[in-house]
Amino acid sequence: MSMDLSVPETWRVKGPLYRLEAARCKTCGRIHYPPMPACPYCGSRDLERVTLPSEGVLESYSVVYAVPEGSRHKAPVLLGLVRLGRVRVVAEITDADPSELRTGMEVEAVLRRIRSDREAGIIRYGVMFRPKLKGGSRGG
Amino acid sequence: MEVYITGVGLTKVGRHFDLSLRELAARAAFEALDSARIDKVDAVVVASTLSYREAGQFDLAGHLAGALGLKGAQTLAMEAGDASGLAAVEAACSLIRAGSAERVLVVGVDKLTDYVSSRVYRDLQRLYEAEVQALYDIGHAGVAGLLARLYMERYGVGRDTLSYWPAMDHSHAKHNPYAMLPFAIDPAAVPRALKVAEPLTLLDSFPLGDGAAALVLESEPHGDARAKVVLATSAAGYPSFTMNEDPLAPESVGEVAARLREVTGIAPANVDVIELGDTFTSIGVILAESLGLSKPGRAAVDAMEGRFTLGGDGPVVNPSGGLKARGHPVGATGVYMVGELALQLSGEYPGLRVDGARRGLAVMASGDGSSAHLVLVEGVA
Repeated sequence: MSMDLSVPETWRVKGPLYRLEAARCKTCGRIHYPPMPACPYCGSRDLERVTLPSEGVLESYSVVYAVPEGSRHKAPVLLGLVRLGRVRVVAEITDADPSELRTGMEVEAVLRRIRSDREAGIIRYGVMFRPKLKGGSRGG
Repeated sequence: MEVYITGVGLTKVGRHFDLSLRELAARAAFEALDSARIDKVDAVVVASTLSYREAGQFDLAGHLAGALGLKGAQTLAMEAGDASGLAAVEAACSLIRAGSAERVLVVGVDKLTDYVSSRVYRDLQRLYEAEVQALYDIGHAGVAGLLARLYMERYGVGRDTLSYWPAMDHSHAKHNPYAMLPFAIDPAAVPRALKVAEPLTLLDSFPLGDGAAALVLESEPHGDARAKVVLATSAAGYPSFTMNEDPLAPESVGEVAARLREVTGIAPANVDVIELGDTFTSIGVILAESLGLSKPGRAAVDAMEGRFTLGGDGPVVNPSGGLKARGHPVGATGVYMVGELALQLSGEYPGLRVDGARRGLAVMASGDGSSAHLVLVEGVA
Protein backbone atom coordinates (compact mmCIF):
# COMPACT_ATOMS: atom_id res chain seq x y z
CA MET A 1 0.00 0.00 0.00
CA SER A 2 1.84 3.04 -1.23
CA MET A 3 0.91 6.30 0.35
CA ASP A 4 3.08 8.46 -1.85
CA LEU A 5 5.01 10.35 0.81
CA SER A 6 7.75 12.40 -0.79
CA VAL A 7 11.28 12.22 0.65
CA PRO A 8 12.32 15.77 -0.39
CA GLU A 9 9.01 17.18 0.88
CA THR A 10 9.38 15.44 4.22
CA TRP A 11 12.91 16.91 4.51
CA ARG A 12 11.86 20.42 3.40
CA VAL A 13 9.12 20.90 5.98
CA LYS A 14 11.26 20.00 8.99
CA GLY A 15 11.48 23.65 10.12
CA PRO A 16 7.78 24.31 10.55
CA LEU A 17 6.78 20.72 11.24
CA TYR A 18 9.52 19.72 13.72
CA ARG A 19 10.47 23.04 15.29
CA LEU A 20 7.37 25.24 14.87
CA GLU A 21 9.30 27.71 12.71
CA ALA A 22 7.12 30.65 11.78
CA ALA A 23 7.78 34.01 10.10
CA ARG A 24 7.67 37.44 11.73
CA CYS A 25 6.97 40.42 9.51
CA LYS A 26 9.42 43.26 10.11
CA THR A 27 6.96 45.73 8.61
CA CYS A 28 3.74 45.06 10.55
CA GLY A 29 5.20 42.99 13.36
CA ARG A 30 2.74 40.14 12.94
CA ILE A 31 3.76 36.50 13.00
CA HIS A 32 2.30 33.83 10.76
CA TYR A 33 2.52 30.04 10.55
CA PRO A 34 3.42 28.22 8.39
CA PRO A 35 5.97 30.71 7.02
CA MET A 36 5.05 32.22 3.64
CA PRO A 37 7.20 34.16 1.13
CA ALA A 38 5.25 37.34 1.96
CA CYS A 39 3.25 38.46 4.99
CA PRO A 40 -0.41 37.38 4.63
CA TYR A 41 -1.49 40.36 6.74
CA CYS A 42 0.31 43.27 5.02
CA GLY A 43 2.07 41.83 1.95
CA SER A 44 5.59 42.75 3.03
CA ARG A 45 8.50 40.50 1.96
CA ASP A 46 10.68 41.68 4.83
CA LEU A 47 10.35 38.63 7.06
CA GLU A 48 12.47 36.77 9.59
CA ARG A 49 12.19 33.21 10.84
CA VAL A 50 11.16 32.85 14.46
CA THR A 51 10.39 29.82 16.59
CA LEU A 52 6.97 29.72 18.21
CA PRO A 53 6.62 29.00 21.91
CA SER A 54 6.06 25.32 22.64
CA GLU A 55 3.32 25.91 25.20
CA GLY A 56 -0.06 27.42 24.54
CA VAL A 57 -3.79 27.33 25.05
CA LEU A 58 -6.41 25.21 23.29
CA GLU A 59 -8.88 27.66 21.71
CA SER A 60 -11.00 25.00 20.03
CA TYR A 61 -10.87 21.31 19.19
CA SER A 62 -12.62 18.73 17.06
CA VAL A 63 -12.77 14.97 17.20
CA VAL A 64 -12.41 13.99 13.56
CA TYR A 65 -13.97 10.69 12.49
CA ALA A 66 -13.90 11.32 8.72
CA VAL A 67 -10.21 10.46 8.50
CA PRO A 68 -8.43 10.30 5.13
CA GLU A 69 -7.13 7.07 3.63
CA GLY A 70 -3.75 5.97 4.89
CA SER A 71 -4.55 7.16 8.41
CA ARG A 72 -7.83 5.46 9.22
CA HIS A 73 -6.15 3.39 11.94
CA LYS A 74 -5.68 6.70 13.80
CA ALA A 75 -9.42 7.49 13.91
CA PRO A 76 -10.65 9.46 15.64
CA VAL A 77 -8.02 12.15 15.09
CA LEU A 78 -8.03 14.89 17.72
CA LEU A 79 -7.56 18.26 16.08
CA GLY A 80 -6.75 21.44 17.97
CA LEU A 81 -6.75 25.16 17.33
CA VAL A 82 -3.86 26.16 19.57
CA ARG A 83 -2.86 29.69 20.51
CA LEU A 84 0.91 30.05 20.89
CA GLY A 85 1.50 33.63 22.02
CA ARG A 86 0.04 35.79 19.24
CA VAL A 87 -0.29 33.01 16.70
CA ARG A 88 -2.85 30.26 16.14
CA VAL A 89 -1.77 26.86 14.90
CA VAL A 90 -3.97 24.00 13.67
CA ALA A 91 -2.38 20.69 14.70
CA GLU A 92 -3.22 17.26 15.99
CA ILE A 93 -3.69 16.66 19.72
CA THR A 94 -2.09 13.55 21.19
CA ASP A 95 -1.80 11.65 24.48
CA ALA A 96 -5.33 12.66 25.44
CA ASP A 97 -8.76 11.11 25.67
CA PRO A 98 -11.39 13.17 23.79
CA SER A 99 -13.38 13.51 27.02
CA GLU A 100 -10.56 15.37 28.79
CA LEU A 101 -10.28 18.13 26.17
CA ARG A 102 -11.58 21.56 27.19
CA THR A 103 -11.22 24.91 25.49
CA GLY A 104 -8.88 27.10 27.49
CA MET A 105 -6.74 24.18 28.69
CA GLU A 106 -2.96 24.46 28.56
CA VAL A 107 -1.16 22.33 26.01
CA GLU A 108 2.48 21.67 25.12
CA ALA A 109 4.26 20.63 21.94
CA VAL A 110 5.66 17.13 21.46
CA LEU A 111 7.12 15.47 18.37
CA ARG A 112 5.04 12.58 17.06
CA ARG A 113 4.66 10.42 13.99
CA ILE A 114 1.97 11.80 11.64
CA ARG A 115 2.06 9.19 8.88
CA SER A 116 4.33 6.51 7.54
CA ASP A 117 4.73 4.99 4.14
CA ARG A 118 4.89 1.27 4.64
CA GLU A 119 6.35 0.48 1.21
CA ALA A 120 9.09 3.09 1.12
CA GLY A 121 9.67 3.22 4.85
CA ILE A 122 9.33 6.98 5.06
CA ILE A 123 8.06 8.31 8.37
CA ARG A 124 6.69 11.82 8.63
CA TYR A 125 7.00 13.40 12.04
CA GLY A 126 5.50 16.66 13.19
CA VAL A 127 4.67 18.71 16.23
CA MET A 128 1.49 17.71 18.01
CA PHE A 129 0.11 19.07 21.26
CA ARG A 130 -0.78 17.27 24.45
CA PRO A 131 -2.42 18.49 27.66
CA LYS A 132 0.33 20.16 29.66
CA LEU A 133 1.87 17.81 32.20
CA LYS A 134 1.66 19.00 35.77
CA GLY A 135 4.88 18.14 37.60
CA GLY A 136 5.42 14.43 36.97
CA SER A 137 5.90 12.68 33.66
CA ARG A 138 3.20 10.73 31.85
CA GLY A 139 5.83 8.86 29.93
CA GLY A 140 5.33 11.00 26.81
CA MET B 1 -21.08 45.50 -21.62
CA GLU B 2 -23.97 43.30 -20.44
CA VAL B 3 -23.56 39.56 -20.04
CA TYR B 4 -26.75 37.59 -20.57
CA ILE B 5 -27.44 34.07 -19.38
CA THR B 6 -29.23 32.51 -22.35
CA GLY B 7 -28.88 28.81 -21.58
CA VAL B 8 -28.92 26.66 -18.44
CA GLY B 9 -28.31 22.93 -18.08
CA LEU B 10 -28.41 21.09 -14.74
CA THR B 11 -28.05 17.41 -13.91
CA LYS B 12 -29.31 15.82 -10.72
CA VAL B 13 -26.46 15.58 -8.21
CA GLY B 14 -25.96 11.98 -7.20
CA ARG B 15 -24.04 8.77 -7.66
CA HIS B 16 -23.74 8.56 -11.43
CA PHE B 17 -21.84 5.28 -11.59
CA ASP B 18 -23.03 4.81 -15.19
CA LEU B 19 -21.69 8.12 -16.49
CA SER B 20 -18.10 9.15 -17.10
CA LEU B 21 -16.91 12.68 -16.42
CA ARG B 22 -17.40 13.74 -20.04
CA GLU B 23 -20.77 12.02 -20.40
CA LEU B 24 -22.00 13.82 -17.31
CA ALA B 25 -20.58 17.13 -18.55
CA ALA B 26 -22.23 16.56 -21.94
CA ARG B 27 -25.69 16.17 -20.39
CA ALA B 28 -25.44 19.60 -18.78
CA ALA B 29 -23.67 21.23 -21.71
CA PHE B 30 -26.10 19.98 -24.37
CA GLU B 31 -29.07 21.08 -22.29
CA ALA B 32 -27.55 24.56 -21.87
CA LEU B 33 -26.73 24.88 -25.60
CA ASP B 34 -30.19 23.61 -26.61
CA SER B 35 -31.97 25.95 -24.23
CA ALA B 36 -29.95 28.86 -25.68
CA ARG B 37 -30.78 27.51 -29.15
CA ILE B 38 -27.18 27.64 -30.36
CA ASP B 39 -24.67 24.98 -31.34
CA LYS B 40 -21.46 26.98 -31.62
CA VAL B 41 -19.60 29.01 -29.04
CA ASP B 42 -16.44 31.12 -29.15
CA ALA B 43 -15.08 29.80 -25.88
CA VAL B 44 -15.55 26.97 -23.38
CA VAL B 45 -14.67 27.59 -19.74
CA VAL B 46 -14.49 24.41 -17.67
CA ALA B 47 -14.68 24.42 -13.87
CA SER B 48 -13.44 21.31 -12.15
CA THR B 49 -11.57 20.82 -8.91
CA LEU B 50 -11.01 17.12 -8.29
CA SER B 51 -11.21 15.77 -11.82
CA TYR B 52 -7.49 15.29 -12.33
CA ARG B 53 -7.30 13.30 -9.07
CA GLU B 54 -10.52 11.37 -9.69
CA ALA B 55 -10.63 11.02 -13.49
CA GLY B 56 -6.96 11.46 -14.42
CA GLN B 57 -7.46 13.82 -17.36
CA PHE B 58 -5.08 16.67 -18.05
CA ASP B 59 -6.26 19.47 -20.37
CA LEU B 60 -9.83 18.69 -19.42
CA ALA B 61 -11.20 21.81 -21.16
CA GLY B 62 -9.52 20.88 -24.43
CA HIS B 63 -10.69 17.29 -24.29
CA LEU B 64 -14.22 18.35 -23.34
CA ALA B 65 -14.47 20.83 -26.23
CA GLY B 66 -13.74 17.92 -28.59
CA ALA B 67 -16.10 15.55 -26.80
CA LEU B 68 -18.89 18.15 -26.99
CA GLY B 69 -18.40 18.75 -30.71
CA LEU B 70 -17.32 22.36 -30.23
CA LYS B 71 -14.59 22.48 -32.85
CA GLY B 72 -12.54 25.67 -32.95
CA ALA B 73 -13.51 27.03 -29.55
CA GLN B 74 -10.89 28.59 -27.33
CA THR B 75 -10.74 26.86 -23.95
CA LEU B 76 -9.94 27.81 -20.39
CA ALA B 77 -9.78 25.54 -17.33
CA MET B 78 -10.63 27.03 -13.97
CA GLU B 79 -9.68 25.49 -10.67
CA ALA B 80 -10.39 27.53 -7.55
CA GLY B 81 -11.14 24.89 -4.95
CA ASP B 82 -14.71 24.93 -3.68
CA ALA B 83 -15.42 28.04 -5.76
CA SER B 84 -14.20 26.85 -9.19
CA GLY B 85 -17.69 27.26 -10.65
CA LEU B 86 -18.07 30.89 -9.61
CA ALA B 87 -14.50 31.56 -10.78
CA ALA B 88 -15.43 30.12 -14.19
CA VAL B 89 -18.47 32.40 -14.44
CA GLU B 90 -16.23 35.35 -13.54
CA ALA B 91 -13.70 34.35 -16.23
CA ALA B 92 -16.41 33.87 -18.86
CA CYS B 93 -17.85 37.32 -18.09
CA SER B 94 -14.36 38.81 -18.44
CA LEU B 95 -13.94 37.22 -21.89
CA ILE B 96 -17.25 38.72 -23.03
CA ARG B 97 -16.69 42.15 -21.46
CA ALA B 98 -13.20 42.30 -22.99
CA GLY B 99 -14.68 41.58 -26.42
CA SER B 100 -12.68 38.33 -26.74
CA ALA B 101 -15.82 36.23 -27.09
CA GLU B 102 -19.51 36.77 -27.78
CA ARG B 103 -20.80 33.37 -26.73
CA VAL B 104 -19.25 31.31 -23.98
CA LEU B 105 -20.19 27.89 -22.64
CA VAL B 106 -19.37 27.44 -18.94
CA VAL B 107 -19.31 23.81 -17.79
CA GLY B 108 -18.75 22.76 -14.19
CA VAL B 109 -18.20 19.07 -13.54
CA ASP B 110 -16.79 16.81 -10.84
CA LYS B 111 -17.23 13.18 -9.84
CA LEU B 112 -16.70 12.28 -6.20
CA THR B 113 -18.05 8.74 -6.14
CA ASP B 114 -15.68 6.76 -8.36
CA TYR B 115 -13.43 5.98 -5.37
CA VAL B 116 -13.99 5.26 -1.68
CA SER B 117 -14.85 8.21 0.56
CA SER B 118 -11.57 8.13 2.52
CA ARG B 119 -9.61 8.71 -0.68
CA VAL B 120 -11.85 11.63 -1.59
CA TYR B 121 -11.39 13.04 1.93
CA ARG B 122 -7.61 12.90 1.40
CA ASP B 123 -8.02 14.84 -1.86
CA LEU B 124 -10.47 17.33 -0.34
CA GLN B 125 -7.98 18.00 2.46
CA ARG B 126 -5.86 19.65 -0.24
CA LEU B 127 -8.37 22.50 -0.33
CA TYR B 128 -6.40 23.68 2.72
CA GLU B 129 -2.82 24.95 2.53
CA ALA B 130 -1.04 21.83 1.32
CA GLU B 131 2.68 22.44 2.00
CA VAL B 132 2.37 22.22 5.79
CA GLN B 133 -1.22 22.38 7.05
CA ALA B 134 -2.62 19.47 5.05
CA LEU B 135 0.34 17.24 5.94
CA TYR B 136 -1.52 16.68 9.20
CA ASP B 137 -4.57 14.44 9.11
CA ILE B 138 -6.92 17.39 9.48
CA GLY B 139 -9.57 15.72 7.31
CA HIS B 140 -11.84 17.65 4.98
CA ALA B 141 -14.13 18.65 7.86
CA GLY B 142 -11.72 19.23 10.74
CA VAL B 143 -11.37 23.00 10.40
CA ALA B 144 -15.16 23.38 10.06
CA GLY B 145 -15.44 21.40 13.32
CA LEU B 146 -13.00 23.76 15.07
CA LEU B 147 -15.00 26.75 13.85
CA ALA B 148 -18.30 25.17 14.96
CA ARG B 149 -17.10 24.75 18.55
CA LEU B 150 -15.64 28.29 18.58
CA TYR B 151 -18.99 29.63 17.32
CA MET B 152 -21.09 27.71 19.84
CA GLU B 153 -18.94 28.71 22.81
CA ARG B 154 -18.55 32.36 21.86
CA TYR B 155 -22.23 33.02 21.19
CA GLY B 156 -23.72 30.51 23.59
CA VAL B 157 -25.49 28.80 20.67
CA GLY B 158 -26.49 25.23 21.46
CA ARG B 159 -25.91 22.23 19.22
CA ASP B 160 -29.69 21.88 18.83
CA THR B 161 -30.04 25.44 17.53
CA LEU B 162 -27.24 24.99 15.00
CA SER B 163 -29.17 22.00 13.59
CA TYR B 164 -31.82 24.30 12.15
CA TRP B 165 -29.37 25.43 9.44
CA PRO B 166 -29.11 22.04 7.67
CA ALA B 167 -32.81 21.42 8.39
CA MET B 168 -33.59 24.62 6.46
CA ASP B 169 -31.46 23.43 3.50
CA HIS B 170 -33.23 20.07 3.47
CA SER B 171 -36.73 21.55 3.72
CA HIS B 172 -35.93 23.62 0.61
CA ALA B 173 -34.31 20.73 -1.28
CA LYS B 174 -37.37 18.50 -1.16
CA HIS B 175 -38.82 20.55 -4.05
CA ASN B 176 -35.62 20.50 -6.14
CA PRO B 177 -35.48 17.82 -8.86
CA TYR B 178 -31.70 18.33 -9.14
CA ALA B 179 -30.98 17.83 -5.41
CA MET B 180 -28.98 14.82 -4.28
CA LEU B 181 -30.94 14.61 -1.01
CA PRO B 182 -34.46 15.92 -1.75
CA PHE B 183 -36.09 15.24 1.62
CA ALA B 184 -36.72 17.06 4.87
CA ILE B 185 -34.83 16.14 8.05
CA ASP B 186 -35.77 16.52 11.69
CA PRO B 187 -33.32 18.96 13.34
CA ALA B 188 -33.29 16.63 16.35
CA ALA B 189 -31.67 13.96 14.15
CA VAL B 190 -28.61 16.11 13.34
CA PRO B 191 -26.62 15.72 16.60
CA ARG B 192 -27.43 11.98 16.66
CA ALA B 193 -26.11 11.31 13.14
CA LEU B 194 -22.73 9.76 12.36
CA LYS B 195 -19.98 12.00 13.75
CA VAL B 196 -17.76 13.59 11.09
CA ALA B 197 -15.74 16.22 12.97
CA GLU B 198 -17.27 16.93 16.36
CA PRO B 199 -19.38 18.85 17.03
CA LEU B 200 -20.35 18.38 13.35
CA THR B 201 -22.08 15.25 12.08
CA LEU B 202 -22.90 13.79 8.68
CA LEU B 203 -26.10 15.90 8.66
CA ASP B 204 -23.97 19.07 8.93
CA SER B 205 -21.80 18.08 5.95
CA PHE B 206 -22.20 18.19 2.19
CA PRO B 207 -22.70 14.72 0.66
CA LEU B 208 -20.14 13.27 -1.76
CA GLY B 209 -21.86 13.31 -5.12
CA ASP B 210 -21.29 13.67 -8.87
CA GLY B 211 -22.71 16.54 -10.84
CA ALA B 212 -22.43 18.76 -13.87
CA ALA B 213 -24.00 22.12 -14.60
CA ALA B 214 -23.64 24.42 -17.60
CA LEU B 215 -24.47 27.93 -18.70
CA VAL B 216 -24.41 29.77 -21.99
CA LEU B 217 -23.33 33.39 -21.53
CA GLU B 218 -23.75 35.86 -24.38
CA SER B 219 -23.12 39.50 -25.12
CA GLU B 220 -26.53 39.74 -26.85
CA PRO B 221 -29.80 38.50 -25.33
CA HIS B 222 -31.36 37.17 -28.61
CA GLY B 223 -34.75 37.35 -26.91
CA ASP B 224 -34.01 34.17 -24.92
CA ALA B 225 -32.11 35.61 -21.97
CA ARG B 226 -33.01 34.21 -18.55
CA ALA B 227 -31.07 36.80 -16.59
CA LYS B 228 -28.00 38.97 -16.79
CA VAL B 229 -24.83 38.92 -14.72
CA VAL B 230 -24.45 42.31 -13.07
CA LEU B 231 -21.30 41.59 -11.06
CA ALA B 232 -18.89 38.63 -10.92
CA THR B 233 -15.96 39.23 -8.64
CA SER B 234 -13.56 37.55 -6.23
CA ALA B 235 -10.99 38.50 -3.63
CA ALA B 236 -8.08 36.23 -2.69
CA GLY B 237 -5.00 36.40 -0.53
CA TYR B 238 -6.58 37.09 2.86
CA PRO B 239 -5.62 35.26 6.05
CA SER B 240 -7.38 31.91 6.39
CA PHE B 241 -10.21 31.45 8.91
CA THR B 242 -7.81 30.23 11.57
CA MET B 243 -5.14 32.88 10.88
CA ASN B 244 -7.64 35.73 10.79
CA GLU B 245 -7.95 38.04 13.80
CA ASP B 246 -11.53 36.78 14.14
CA PRO B 247 -11.87 33.24 12.73
CA LEU B 248 -15.65 33.72 12.55
CA ALA B 249 -15.50 36.86 10.36
CA PRO B 250 -13.40 36.16 7.22
CA GLU B 251 -12.08 39.37 5.66
CA SER B 252 -12.39 37.86 2.17
CA VAL B 253 -16.18 37.63 2.44
CA GLY B 254 -16.40 41.12 3.92
CA GLU B 255 -14.44 42.42 0.92
CA VAL B 256 -16.72 40.93 -1.78
CA ALA B 257 -19.79 42.17 0.12
CA ALA B 258 -18.24 45.66 0.21
CA ARG B 259 -17.59 45.50 -3.56
CA LEU B 260 -21.24 44.57 -4.12
CA ARG B 261 -22.34 47.68 -2.21
CA GLU B 262 -19.79 49.89 -4.03
CA VAL B 263 -20.62 48.74 -7.55
CA THR B 264 -24.39 48.29 -7.28
CA GLY B 265 -25.43 50.12 -4.11
CA ILE B 266 -27.08 46.88 -2.95
CA ALA B 267 -26.41 45.11 0.35
CA PRO B 268 -26.57 41.29 0.36
CA ALA B 269 -29.59 41.42 2.69
CA ASN B 270 -31.52 43.38 0.03
CA VAL B 271 -31.48 40.77 -2.74
CA ASP B 272 -34.44 38.40 -3.12
CA VAL B 273 -32.63 35.08 -3.21
CA ILE B 274 -29.16 33.89 -2.21
CA GLU B 275 -27.27 30.67 -2.86
CA LEU B 276 -24.56 30.25 -0.21
CA GLY B 277 -21.57 27.89 -0.27
CA ASP B 278 -22.39 26.23 3.04
CA THR B 279 -20.04 23.25 2.83
CA PHE B 280 -20.69 22.65 6.55
CA THR B 281 -23.19 24.13 9.01
CA SER B 282 -20.50 26.27 10.65
CA ILE B 283 -19.40 27.69 7.30
CA GLY B 284 -23.05 28.45 6.42
CA VAL B 285 -23.69 30.54 9.52
CA ILE B 286 -20.31 32.28 9.22
CA LEU B 287 -21.05 33.23 5.58
CA ALA B 288 -24.57 34.45 6.43
CA GLU B 289 -23.25 36.64 9.24
CA SER B 290 -20.23 37.92 7.28
CA LEU B 291 -22.63 39.06 4.54
CA GLY B 292 -24.77 40.87 7.10
CA LEU B 293 -27.83 38.62 6.63
CA SER B 294 -27.85 37.98 10.38
CA LYS B 295 -26.27 39.58 13.42
CA PRO B 296 -23.22 37.71 14.80
CA GLY B 297 -24.35 34.53 16.53
CA ARG B 298 -27.88 34.77 15.13
CA ALA B 299 -27.86 32.99 11.75
CA ALA B 300 -29.00 29.59 13.07
CA VAL B 301 -31.67 31.26 15.22
CA ASP B 302 -32.84 33.25 12.18
CA ALA B 303 -32.98 30.01 10.15
CA MET B 304 -34.99 28.38 12.96
CA GLU B 305 -37.46 31.26 12.93
CA GLY B 306 -37.95 30.98 9.16
CA ARG B 307 -36.28 34.27 8.25
CA PHE B 308 -34.56 32.72 5.20
CA THR B 309 -37.43 30.74 3.79
CA LEU B 310 -40.51 31.74 1.77
CA GLY B 311 -42.55 34.28 3.74
CA GLY B 312 -39.60 35.21 5.97
CA ASP B 313 -38.36 38.79 6.17
CA GLY B 314 -34.83 38.04 4.91
CA PRO B 315 -33.79 36.93 1.44
CA VAL B 316 -34.65 33.30 0.68
CA VAL B 317 -31.39 31.43 1.32
CA ASN B 318 -30.55 28.25 -0.56
CA PRO B 319 -33.89 27.48 -2.24
CA SER B 320 -31.88 24.75 -4.01
CA GLY B 321 -31.16 22.99 -0.73
CA GLY B 322 -27.66 24.44 -0.48
CA LEU B 323 -24.52 22.38 -0.43
CA LYS B 324 -25.97 20.20 2.31
CA ALA B 325 -28.92 18.89 0.31
CA ARG B 326 -28.61 19.89 -3.36
CA GLY B 327 -25.06 18.66 -2.98
CA HIS B 328 -21.56 19.91 -3.70
CA PRO B 329 -19.92 18.30 -6.74
CA VAL B 330 -17.08 20.62 -5.89
CA GLY B 331 -16.00 22.33 -9.12
CA ALA B 332 -19.55 22.31 -10.52
CA THR B 333 -21.31 23.88 -7.53
CA GLY B 334 -20.83 27.54 -8.44
CA VAL B 335 -22.25 26.85 -11.92
CA TYR B 336 -25.30 25.18 -10.33
CA MET B 337 -25.79 28.24 -8.11
CA VAL B 338 -25.78 30.72 -11.00
CA GLY B 339 -27.94 28.44 -13.17
CA GLU B 340 -30.50 28.01 -10.39
CA LEU B 341 -30.60 31.77 -9.77
CA ALA B 342 -31.08 32.47 -13.50
CA LEU B 343 -34.04 30.06 -13.60
CA GLN B 344 -35.46 31.66 -10.43
CA LEU B 345 -35.35 35.11 -12.04
CA SER B 346 -36.95 33.91 -15.28
CA GLY B 347 -39.70 32.07 -13.37
CA GLU B 348 -38.60 28.68 -14.76
CA TYR B 349 -37.07 27.18 -11.63
CA PRO B 350 -38.66 23.77 -11.02
CA GLY B 351 -37.92 23.71 -7.27
CA LEU B 352 -38.87 26.12 -4.49
CA ARG B 353 -39.78 29.23 -6.46
CA VAL B 354 -39.34 32.75 -5.14
CA ASP B 355 -42.10 34.57 -7.02
CA GLY B 356 -41.27 38.02 -8.30
CA ALA B 357 -37.56 37.67 -7.50
CA ARG B 358 -35.53 40.35 -9.29
CA ARG B 359 -32.04 39.82 -7.93
CA GLY B 360 -30.08 36.72 -6.97
CA LEU B 361 -26.71 36.39 -5.31
CA ALA B 362 -24.24 33.48 -5.19
CA VAL B 363 -21.41 33.55 -2.63
CA MET B 364 -18.69 31.05 -1.78
CA ALA B 365 -15.50 31.13 0.24
CA SER B 366 -12.52 28.86 -0.38
CA GLY B 367 -12.18 25.94 2.02
CA ASP B 368 -9.81 27.80 4.31
CA GLY B 369 -11.64 31.13 3.96
CA SER B 370 -8.71 33.00 2.41
CA SER B 371 -10.66 33.92 -0.71
CA ALA B 372 -14.28 34.66 -1.56
CA HIS B 373 -16.29 34.73 -4.78
CA LEU B 374 -19.54 36.55 -5.53
CA VAL B 375 -21.91 36.69 -8.51
CA LEU B 376 -24.98 38.96 -8.70
CA VAL B 377 -27.61 38.22 -11.35
CA GLU B 378 -30.68 40.24 -12.25
CA GLY B 379 -33.86 39.41 -14.11
CA VAL B 380 -34.34 40.75 -17.64
CA ALA B 381 -38.13 40.56 -17.95
